[in-house]
Amino acid sequence: MKMGERFGTYLSFLNKYSAIIALAIIVIYGTLFVPHFMSIANLKAILFQYSIIGFLALGQLLVIITGGIDLSQGSLVAFTSIVAAVLMAQIGLVPAVAGAVLFCSLLGLFSGLLVSRTKIPAFIVTLGMLGIGRGLAKFVANAKPVPIADEFFRSMGRAELFGIPVCAILWVIASMMLYQFLKRRRLGRYIYAVGSSEESARLAGINIKKVKLFVYTMSAFLTSIGALIWASRLGSGSPIGGVGYELESIAAVIVGGASLYGGTGSVVGTMAGVMIFGVINSILNLSGISPFWQGAIKGILILSAVALSQIQMRRSRKA
Amino acid sequence: MKKSLNSNMKDIFQLLMVLLGMIVFAAILSKGVFIQPINLYNILTQNCILLVVSLGQLLIIITKGIDLSVGMIVGFSSVLIVLTQDFGAVLPIVFALGAVMIIGIASGCLVHYAKLPAFVVTLAMSQIVYSIGKVIGGGAAVYSGFNGSPISPGLLSLYTGGVFGIQYPLLITLACIIAISLYLKTSIGHFTYTIGGNQKTAYLSGVPIARVKITTYIIAGLLACIGGMLFVARVGLGDPQAGDALTMDSIAAVTVGGASLSGGAGTVVGTIIGVLILGVLNNILNLLNVPPAIQPAIKGGLILLAVYLNSRKISER
Repeated sequence: MKMGERFGTYLSFLNKYSAIIALAIIVIYGTLFVPHFMSIANLKAILFQYSIIGFLALGQLLVIITGGIDLSQGSLVAFTSIVAAVLMAQIGLVPAVAGAVLFCSLLGLFSGLLVSRTKIPAFIVTLGMLGIGRGLAKFVANAKPVPIADEFFRSMGRAELFGIPVCAILWVIASMMLYQFLKRRRLGRYIYAVGSSEESARLAGINIKKVKLFVYTMSAFLTSIGALIWASRLGSGSPIGGVGYELESIAAVIVGGASLYGGTGSVVGTMAGVMIFGVINSILNLSGISPFWQGAIKGILILSAVALSQIQMRRSRKA
Repeated sequence: MKKSLNSNMKDIFQLLMVLLGMIVFAAILSKGVFIQPINLYNILTQNCILLVVSLGQLLIIITKGIDLSVGMIVGFSSVLIVLTQDFGAVLPIVFALGAVMIIGIASGCLVHYAKLPAFVVTLAMSQIVYSIGKVIGGGAAVYSGFNGSPISPGLLSLYTGGVFGIQYPLLITLACIIAISLYLKTSIGHFTYTIGGNQKTAYLSGVPIARVKITTYIIAGLLACIGGMLFVARVGLGDPQAGDALTMDSIAAVTVGGASLSGGAGTVVGTIIGVLILGVLNNILNLLNVPPAIQPAIKGGLILLAVYLNSRKISER
């Protein structure tokens, strides 16, 4: 019995930090066995590329903690980039960026309204929104990429501060703010409460509709920030871009220890999850493995992560 | 629980009215061109693949699941069928059916035994299948077998040929419709409704849930594979992205056709009408000069509307 208890504490320790431990192991592997992995240029490349997914994952985390899911993120990336590109040519940088963020958040608000006020499952609402976002992006752009001329905007995605990509710094700041929000703010605690048990949360007087509305709007808002970085790096808005990004953000959140059934998930775990995918992607590229395999590897990782979290949940229920 | 016969008839009648209204609208818009037999016939043949795939989606949605991988399975099987053309006309199709069966078993087991949500399993599976399709096909569309054998004329004639003036794709689709209708009448087929209605009750009544669920995912995969075969016959190539739009379209068709995402409800006839409504809608959008770019948005909106109306209907009962 005592042995079992001790084993249990080891397990829960492993459980809590599993994403970070996994990240450390993968990084060590990369450093030892993959040439050019541990170089400044490569690490920078990972940060540049994956801070975009990082923003998406923060939004996805909020939604997943409430027990929902946001499948629309990839389309919203395309939508935001197009709106920003089209507006920038018309009304200048700042209003265009504000407009793009606003329109994207409005789509998120719409998803939130549907999830909170109707009985439609979240994955269907956001699947519908995936179609709507993609269609709107193609419609606004006439199905063609829209170039962005603004030099300042284009340079932002590549900017560095003390040799660290600015977009990665922004991502870390956003993560820290979200961490504080989830730990210390009332609404942040409500998000966990709603995810753990909607019924208890309702009985405790929490306005569930408001919480759900908030998380879907925030998910779209954070997605739009990621999308702006993406558009800046691309130098244009693309109606066909961002396909499958939602899958990467879901994977990062789940690998980071969140459960698809809601109630759990952490910012730190999610950050580690994002970096795990960044590092794996980089290792695959550097090892010369066909990029075509990457979808399969991601799919298998998602399935194993979800299955593991499922097993843990069942064990903790028994205990 | 399966809805009573009476309310089923009422739903189907309503759907038929919607379809009829759309046809009249299209006929007026096009000044009569739309209802010429040739155009109506074309709508039927153009939507064969969607209908076959939607039948599989229907079965899964009845069990309270969802299959986000059907589209990618269509693409994957099209690639596999073209690449194995070196083995003659029939064997490639057998290979593809076998491969897809394994995918169905894997999805079914993950959904049933590992208790993972169906949409996650099938979303991940769609990535895996898509990725394998790209790896074996070199990342692009394929036009001939590994050893360079062209696509067999027999397979290609599947789309152009026919008997009694009816094209083979229509006949194949008809065969699938009959097969699925009969399947739903068998005891194991009937259990799909039982499971979707209330899995706990089904379990307590001794329904072999594992067998039913896994069979459902296998059948959905096999139907998607037949869709891939029809795609090859129609276009003359295999493409991992062939079925990109089919996942959304099939969900739209099934939900418009009255199936409920909370499981236990949905009919073959409803799904057929759902597919036709989508087909006529496409035609109307073209007649109205709506740019094709916005069609994903319209379909997304349509799914939301259909699911919303269905869920209200169920809570009323």
